[in-house]
Amino acid sequence: MHFGIDYVTEYRYDGEVIDNLNAIRARPATTPVQRCDEFHVRTDPETRLHRYVDYFGAEVVEFGIDRPHDHLSIEVRARVTTTEPDEPPEAEWDALRTTAYETVAGEFLLPTGQEPRPERTAELVDLTRATSPLATLRLTTELLRDRFVYDTQATFVGSTVDDLLDQGGGVCQDFAHLGTVLLRAHGIAARYVSGYLWASDPEGGDDSMEVETHAWVEALLPGSGSEDPVWVGADPTNGVLAGARHVKIGHGRFYQDVPPVRGVYRGQAMAEPGVKVTMTRLEAQPSPRA
Amino acid sequence: MPNGPTLSYEGPEGIYDEAVTASGAPRDHLTQLMEAVGSLEPEQLAALGRRRDANFIQAGITFDTIGPDGQAVDRPFPLDLVPRVIDADDWSVIKRGLAQRIRALNQFIDDVYHGREIVREGIVPWRLIVSRSHFARQVDGVRPPGGVYTHIAGLDLVRDADGTWRVLEDNVRTPSGISYVLANRQAMTRLAPRLFSGYRVRPVDHYPQVLLEALRAVAPADEGEATVVVWTPGPLNPAYFEHAFLAHQMGVELVQASDLVVRGDVCYMRTTRGLERVHAIYRRLDDEFCDPLDFRPDSVIGVPGLLRAYRAGTVAVANAFGTGVADDKAIYPYVPDMIRFYLGEEPILQNVPTYRMDRPDDLAHVMDHLDELVVKPTSESGGKGVVIGPHATKAELDQLRKDVMVNPAKWIGQEVVKLSTVPTVLEDGSLSPRHVDLRPFAVFGESIRVIPGGLTRVAMTPGSMLVNSSMGGGSKDTWVLESDSPEPDPEAADAPAQGERLLPSLPEVRWDSAWVGQSQQQQQTRDITEGEDV
Repeated sequence: MHFGIDYVTEYRYDGEVIDNLNAIRARPATTPVQRCDEFHVRTDPETRLHRYVDYFGAEVVEFGIDRPHDHLSIEVRARVTTTEPDEPPEAEWDALRTTAYETVAGEFLLPTGQEPRPERTAELVDLTRATSPLATLRLTTELLRDRFVYDTQATFVGSTVDDLLDQGGGVCQDFAHLGTVLLRAHGIAARYVSGYLWASDPEGGDDSMEVETHAWVEALLPGSGSEDPVWVGADPTNGVLAGARHVKIGHGRFYQDVPPVRGVYRGQAMAEPGVKVTMTRLEAQPSPRA
Repeated sequence: MPNGPTLSYEGPEGIYDEAVTASGAPRDHLTQLMEAVGSLEPEQLAALGRRRDANFIQAGITFDTIGPDGQAVDRPFPLDLVPRVIDADDWSVIKRGLAQRIRALNQFIDDVYHGREIVREGIVPWRLIVSRSHFARQVDGVRPPGGVYTHIAGLDLVRDADGTWRVLEDNVRTPSGISYVLANRQAMTRLAPRLFSGYRVRPVDHYPQVLLEALRAVAPADEGEATVVVWTPGPLNPAYFEHAFLAHQMGVELVQASDLVVRGDVCYMRTTRGLERVHAIYRRLDDEFCDPLDFRPDSVIGVPGLLRAYRAGTVAVANAFGTGVADDKAIYPYVPDMIRFYLGEEPILQNVPTYRMDRPDDLAHVMDHLDELVVKPTSESGGKGVVIGPHATKAELDQLRKDVMVNPAKWIGQEVVKLSTVPTVLEDGSLSPRHVDLRPFAVFGESIRVIPGGLTRVAMTPGSMLVNSSMGGGSKDTWVLESDSPEPDPEAADAPAQGERLLPSLPEVRWDSAWVGQSQQQQQTRDITEGEDV
C-alpha cells in the first residue's frame, strides 16, 4: 500500500519559553516489507535540524529553538510504500535454543528490569503456551486483545505493565509492553515497535483518516528447517499479525527507546501537546480490471 | 632496637604487614620511619592528632557521620599520622600494571561501541555487555576526541597475604578521592616534617596540572587555548569539596547545569560577557543525569542537548559517556583477557580470584561456600550491597542466597583477600596494625600518567577489612619513594615535567586559606572515598 502521513505536534505555551530542545523519531523505517519514499520535518518557529541514526537503527531528528517563543509546531510529512509480509515461519520450540537464534535475538531475550513480578504474569504465560512459537505469538496477540480493554483513560505515557494489569485496560503502548514481557517469558525474543497504523479496512473505507501513532511488537521466530530466524510483527491491541497497514518507525526494548517526540525547554509556562496524525491512501485499490 | 621504647608494634599473624616482617623486624625502607615514629611519645602523637583535626576542621576537610543521637556530625577527615610507604620497585610494577589495565579498558569501551571484536572472538559475551546497566546505547558508534574514554581512573588495589598487589575494582566513571590525597600530603608536610627526613618522596601536588593538560589535550579546540570546566551536580553532592577544589586548583570554572547551554551542536557556558564556548567538561555526575533528552528524562541537573554536541565532536566530556560498561563488576573477571586480546601482553597486575555467576559451575560453587566468600552486586559501587561471608549472620546469608538466585548474573563471588596491614595510631597514641587498600589515580590525555601513591583507606576497627569511610574508615598519606638509582627512571611517566612544579598561573590553595574554609558548610560527605559520584 502507499500512504502519505502528516504528523503534526502542536504546543501552545501559556507564556514564553526558551531553549526548547526536541528529538523526534517519526521517519518510516526502510525494511524488507516497507520503503520510505519521502520524509520532511518542518518546525515553526523554524530552526536547523540535526539527524543521526540511533543504536536501534531509527533515524532521529533533533532541533533546538533558543529564542523566546510561545508556540511550537512540528510537522512531519512522509510517503511510504508497504507490502504484506511473507507467511511467518513455523518451527518447533526447540529451535529457540540454538546459537543461531540466540545470536540474532541478542538483548531482546533479556529482562529489561521493567517487568512485573513473575507471579503476576504466570497465568497469562500459561494461557499462551501453545504448540509452537508461532502459535504462541498468535495466541498472545489475540488473548491480550480479548483480556484487556482499550482505554485511553486508564494509563499514561509513563505507565508500566503493572499499571495495565491493575487497571485491566490501557492503550497500544501498554499492550505492546505486556506482549514483549509474555513472549520473552516463553523464550521468544521480542521487541517494542513504534509506528503508524492505517486503522481501516484495506479494501474499502476512506482515503484519508485521522489516526494516532501506534505501537505493536515484533517477535523473533525461528526459521523453518535451516532458514534464518525472522522478526514477525504482531499487534496485540488489535489481535492480528502486522501487515501492510502497519507502518513501522523503529523498535527498541520498550517505549523509552523509540519515543516519537521527546523534548525539554526552559521556562515556567506549560503546554499540553495537540497531536494529529493524518494518513492518506495515495492510490485507490486497483480494480480487478486495472 | 628499631622500635623506640615508647612505641612497640607487631604485625598480625597470617597477614602481610607492610612495616614489619613475620619475624617482627622492620622492612628495610621503613626502618627510618619506624624509628622516627617510635621516638615520639604517645602524648606527642596524640597532640599532633589534635592539631591535625583542628586544621582539617578549619580548612573544611571534613565529612559527615551520624552521631549517637541520630544527628549528622561534621568530623575532620580521618588522616592517620603514620604514612604508608611504597618502595620504588613496587611502585614501578603498580604503575605499569595500571597503565596497561587502563589502556585495555579504554580499548574495550571503544570496541563495545564500535566493532565489537572481543564479542566476535568469543571472549566477552554480548549478552553480558548489553545487560549492564551502564551500557550506553546513546553513544553507540560515537568516538570521543582523541579516542580517550577513561580520562580519570581510580582503580582499587589490595595486597594479599603474600604481599602481592591485586586489582579489586576498576573505577572508570567518576572516581573520587584525589583531593584527599593532596590534602593529606599537605597536612603531613606541615604537621610532621621530621618524618620525611631521610626519604625522597615523590610529589603528588602536580595532579591538577596533569589533569588540566589531559583535558586540554583531548579538547577539540581549533585555535588558542581550550576552555575547560568542572561540572558539579551542586553543593549537596558528597564530593562537592573535591569538585570545587579541583576547579580552583586548575584555575577553571566550576559550573552547574544551569551554567551550560547547547546551541546548535555546540556547548556554551553562560558568563557575564555572554556565551563562551566550552571545549572540555570534567563532569562529576553519572551518565544518566547528564542530558534529559537522551538519558533520564526526569533529570533536572542535566544539560539538554549535551549529547548532540558530544556526537558532533565539538566538546570532550571526561570521562566519556558509556565508560560504566567497563567498570561493572561482572566485566571485571574479563579484564585479564582483555589485556591479552587488545595489547597482546600478559597482565602485570592480577585480579582477585572471582566467580562469574552466569556460569552454572561458578554459581554452584559460590552457593556452597557463601560463608567463605565475598558476594557483590555487579552494578553498584562504594561497597553497596556487598556481603562478606565470614562476617555475615546466617540470616544475612539466607537472604543473600535468595537475592542472588533471582538474577545470578547481577552478582559476582570473590575469594576473601586478607588485606595487608600498616601501623596505625590509636586514640591513646599507641600503634596497632590496621587493614588497608589503595586507590591510585591515573590521568589519560595524550598518554597515561599515574600519580605516585593514591588514597590509602584504613579499616579502623581491629581485624576489620571494611575500609569504607562510612564504616569509620581512615586514610593515610601514601608515599612512593624515589628510586635509589642515580639514573632517572625511564618509565617515570608520573614525574612532573621540567619546570612544571612552578605554576605561577595557578592560584595556590593554601592549607589554611580562606577559600577552602568557605566550602566547609557545603561539605556533606557521607561516603566520599567510596566509589563514584551520584
